[in-house]
Amino acid sequence: MTPAIMTTAQGPEFRAAGTDLSERRRSGVSTGPLIDIAAQPDMTSMLWGADGTLRIGAFTTIATIASDGRIAAAYPGLAASAEGLATPQIRHLATLGGNLAQRSRCWYYRNPQIACLKKGGSDCPARGGNHLYGVAFDLGPCVAPHPSTMAAALLAYDATIITYQRSGLSIPDVLGDGSNGAADNVLLPGEMIRSVELPAARQGERADYKRAISRSHAEWPLVEVCARAVVTNGAFQFVRLTAGGIAPVPLRLQAAEAAVQGQPANALNIQVAAKLATSGAKPLPMTGYKLDLLEGVVRDVLERLAA
Amino acid sequence: MSTMTINGQPAPLPDDPDALLIEVVRDTLDLTGTKLVCGAGVCGACTVLVDGAPVVSCLMPARAAAGKTVTTVEGIGAAKLHPVQKAFMAYDALQCGFCTPGFIVEAAAFHDRWRAAKGTAMPSREEIGAALSGHLCRCGAYDGIFRAVADACTGRFDNDAIASPPRMEARDKVTGAAKYTVDIRHDGQLEGVILRSALAHARITSLDLTPAQAMPGVGAVVSLLGDDRVVRYVGAPIAAVAAKDRKTALAAIAAIRIDTERLPAAVGLEQARKADAPVVFEKPDRKKAGNVSEGGGSPAPWKGNIRGPSAAFSKKPKQVQSWVADAIEANNPLLVEGTFRTGTQSHACLEPHAAVARFDGDVLTVHVSTQAVFHLMELIAKRFKLAHDKVRVIADHVGGGFGSKASLGMETIAAIELARAARTPVRIAYDRHEELSVTGYRPAAEVKIALLPSAQGELKALSLTAHADTGAATNSTIAALARLIYPAEAKALADYDVISNLPPGAAFRGPGGPPMAFALEQAIDEAALRMNADPIALRKRWDPDPNRQRLYDWASNLEVWRNRKPASAQSGRYRRGVGVATGYWLYLWQPGSTVEVAVKGGRLVASTATQDIGTGTRSVIANTVAREFGLEPHEVEVRIGDSRLPEGPGSGGSRVTASVIPPTLLAIGKLKAVIEANAKRKPVPGSNAPWRELLAASPDLVAASERPEDSKQMSPGIQSPLKQVGLLGWIFGFMMRRFSNLAIGAGVPSSVQVIEVEVDTWLGHVRVVNVHTGIAVGKIAAPALAHSQAAGSVIQGIGYALYEAREIDSVTGDILSGGMEDYRIPGISDTPAIDVHFDEGGFGHVLGGSVGIGEVATVPTSPAIANAVCNATGIRLTELPIRPDRLIAALKGRAAA
Repeated sequence: MTPAIMTTAQGPEFRAAGTDLSERRRSGVSTGPLIDIAAQPDMTSMLWGADGTLRIGAFTTIATIASDGRIAAAYPGLAASAEGLATPQIRHLATLGGNLAQRSRCWYYRNPQIACLKKGGSDCPARGGNHLYGVAFDLGPCVAPHPSTMAAALLAYDATIITYQRSGLSIPDVLGDGSNGAADNVLLPGEMIRSVELPAARQGERADYKRAISRSHAEWPLVEVCARAVVTNGAFQFVRLTAGGIAPVPLRLQAAEAAVQGQPANALNIQVAAKLATSGAKPLPMTGYKLDLLEGVVRDVLERLAA
Repeated sequence: MSTMTINGQPAPLPDDPDALLIEVVRDTLDLTGTKLVCGAGVCGACTVLVDGAPVVSCLMPARAAAGKTVTTVEGIGAAKLHPVQKAFMAYDALQCGFCTPGFIVEAAAFHDRWRAAKGTAMPSREEIGAALSGHLCRCGAYDGIFRAVADACTGRFDNDAIASPPRMEARDKVTGAAKYTVDIRHDGQLEGVILRSALAHARITSLDLTPAQAMPGVGAVVSLLGDDRVVRYVGAPIAAVAAKDRKTALAAIAAIRIDTERLPAAVGLEQARKADAPVVFEKPDRKKAGNVSEGGGSPAPWKGNIRGPSAAFSKKPKQVQSWVADAIEANNPLLVEGTFRTGTQSHACLEPHAAVARFDGDVLTVHVSTQAVFHLMELIAKRFKLAHDKVRVIADHVGGGFGSKASLGMETIAAIELARAARTPVRIAYDRHEELSVTGYRPAAEVKIALLPSAQGELKALSLTAHADTGAATNSTIAALARLIYPAEAKALADYDVISNLPPGAAFRGPGGPPMAFALEQAIDEAALRMNADPIALRKRWDPDPNRQRLYDWASNLEVWRNRKPASAQSGRYRRGVGVATGYWLYLWQPGSTVEVAVKGGRLVASTATQDIGTGTRSVIANTVAREFGLEPHEVEVRIGDSRLPEGPGSGGSRVTASVIPPTLLAIGKLKAVIEANAKRKPVPGSNAPWRELLAASPDLVAASERPEDSKQMSPGIQSPLKQVGLLGWIFGFMMRRFSNLAIGAGVPSSVQVIEVEVDTWLGHVRVVNVHTGIAVGKIAAPALAHSQAAGSVIQGIGYALYEAREIDSVTGDILSGGMEDYRIPGISDTPAIDVHFDEGGFGHVLGGSVGIGEVATVPTSPAIANAVCNATGIRLTELPIRPDRLIAALKGRAAA
């Protein structure tokens, strides 16, 4: 439509498959130079360690992760998260590294006519405007939830990120704590994600992934939860819950985890934990519903893991 | 330079890092079967196979295809049709066809994978839905798509036989051969782009086009400002550029220098109706406002930003007020009162508004994605002061319209202006943000209703007051429509337009009908609950229309209805409910509609200047001609989509079928008489194909007829719906005919829907499980296509009820839902089981017995869903769409944000 009102010069952006970037180039939100990633062999491969660990190259496609039998067996929450995001055509192109480093889906950010923190502006227009799809945990100046479904899943699996400069980075090391409204991650300038390492799965663990959306498929999550659990003798021996769609970064739901840890895996305990999933929430005027959805999704996944 | 292999041929790839695969496919290689729609990977219309896997070519960088094998829809059925293509044709799994190539590519890949792994097992709906979840169809052809993909996977379409499809142009649409306006490319054609206002209200104090004109590659720059130089909404057109490509044109509009004086703005209904709101249209400028209805407007008071009340369809309105006041005073439990709010619905046509204009000497030819080739020719001739025979409008295929492409749009005006200035053809095709912001929408509405039954259980009084959020437009008709159904002793019906600094609304499939029904049909449902009456039985009692009486009998016998549980009888996470609602639309036809039926070279050719926007007009005409001659429809050639053909109807107001079948039948009668008179040899006695032989032997002949008036002989109870409005009704009918060239016929096209939903009370999610849609529009001219229209109407209604909301930034007035990921239309997995019931009576007075279906079939869906949700949960949802945030708030007893 009309020209962009970008105020700041834009630095170079890495391009993996371009499923996010191409749309921003077309709209004029991204105008800086592009660096096409020339994938090294380790960026496209999956390497299983003898101890059950897994290293996934950052250029591995989401479809590959979703359909890999060994991943589905060891890290079913990761596979289900991959299968649950976007559309088949996008999953076939999009990469794991690109998914982690993608930019916000906020409709103010994506509108080239409107200034915002992520485009060099001085404030967040969604905060006082229409933030129906905004955060319910208001942790920073920007109110858009982080878009990466894979990041929430990797957080649940205590995965670490290897870049060309650093290694052993946790998801919070890469995505920050939400306090920087100008960016969607805290990677160093020019730093590129090379691969992701997952520790070995626990004995007997199960996992699930669920997103709340208005339609059946192909919609950015209102709320999404990745859950892992080991249920022994009818009790939760181990529970890990992470959520996306609710905060500027994926969140671990520690209060909910603690509520069921070591407890009988019954409906009552699950209901209590689900209520605690919203601990620490700070909803915006239009996002209170996301807390109800978060409670509902946590209840849904825990009941299925307990079954 | 790198290359790819595309459909078996090598093709070079550009070095430009920003070039996308779709640009190479469409623009360089002219493989126009691949469509650009959302540009964001949401809708799948651009899907191609890369090394055998479906990907979105609108997001894939061209250079990423280096060394790869690419297959487009043109490569899928190149040698012989793929089984999936044959299945789509056989099950009419398409309407406008714009999304079809993308679906075909994806479905073919799914089919091939499935067959390799599972043989001839039939995939489930869930499996098909998941595989096709990256595709959107705005017409809602999903019901047919499910059946086509499932049956193709069983091997049913493996053989070479191709049955003639029910839709005439189906083959062109499943192979990607069908050319839409956006696909037209003349030699020397330039690409046009419009510079639009970034402000909601401003005066353009200076406009300097010279920097753009001076840029290399720019062919023309024109101003689009009106005489007052005021822009009244974000996206209002200011100027347009034609350049050698889109990139150059975008750079050129960025170079145009404008100075603006910002004016105070009122964005949306709430701001605009404040007492101190800035006024959008001062008195002299009121003619600049758009129109949100199908016909012209009636006069109404207009003060500030509020136009209304339009209350001519009221009946003893003061009586209503006093009865309602008495009922409130007396705490009458039967009085139903409520305020209902509906959302703004975007047409979201998959083919954007587009025009390609070229001048050959003094003759102007414009390809336009339009719902009215003939009327548009008249409008262009008038605006550009050209003779009718110097203007030709062509629309071979149109990728959806739904009301938004019924008049002369800025894409057409600008393309013509630019083509004239540049002396070379110019194309303008809106991008998705433009399509979802400035091409019109069904206005949101706030409808206050009061419904009062009498002590004897009759409908005593009804009051509706509707305020419509019309943007820079007027003429909303919502409350008035409540006059033509459920007769009452008194009715107070008032319509108001609330005009604001938003893009103008437009007519949208049954304008005013769905918001009226959302309020009225829920109020009726509520009255039934309070009267302890069966909701269908109550409607049958209050609604004497003979067409709907038959539909009520059908509906009340449905198993799903008889088995429904009482409201709020359930607890637990998932709750099921069944709801009913009624809809109607006017039976409209266009006087002057003319159809020519000819014999040319022994073959029948039917011609009229109408168009097919996905509704199936070609097939309706072909079926009508074929039936009369005992031929197969594919033996008849139908020529439409060209204003040089005899005057035909616009595709709006569900008027086409009723406008073209009667003159077709008359022309056939004339033609038959001449053929028989000419015949040297009468048909061989006992021949079962006399007309085929006579036609083969016939010299070339032409017969044309104009749409006749309907017969005065009508079935009992059938009358013009305006009769009950008395003299005012007669005047309304006269005005519609005189100023909008639309005749309102006798008999009321009607629909009754029974819908079952499942509510997930944890996640605030409504799933429509099954829909029974009963429709009375007379005889069905093209059954498979009418089924597609009926099912598609339900699916669009589901979108309106549950998902679709145009979101605005109330500070800037800019649209936020300007992409298909934020403007959410139903996907294939949101499609319920749909049972279509046609009641074919009621229109015997219309030659051929058929009237249109497009609008009536979508009116009752949203209230039927809301009534079903109420039946499931005991909670009445008063605001559309019924999104998770609203449903959760209602379940928790909170007000939604």
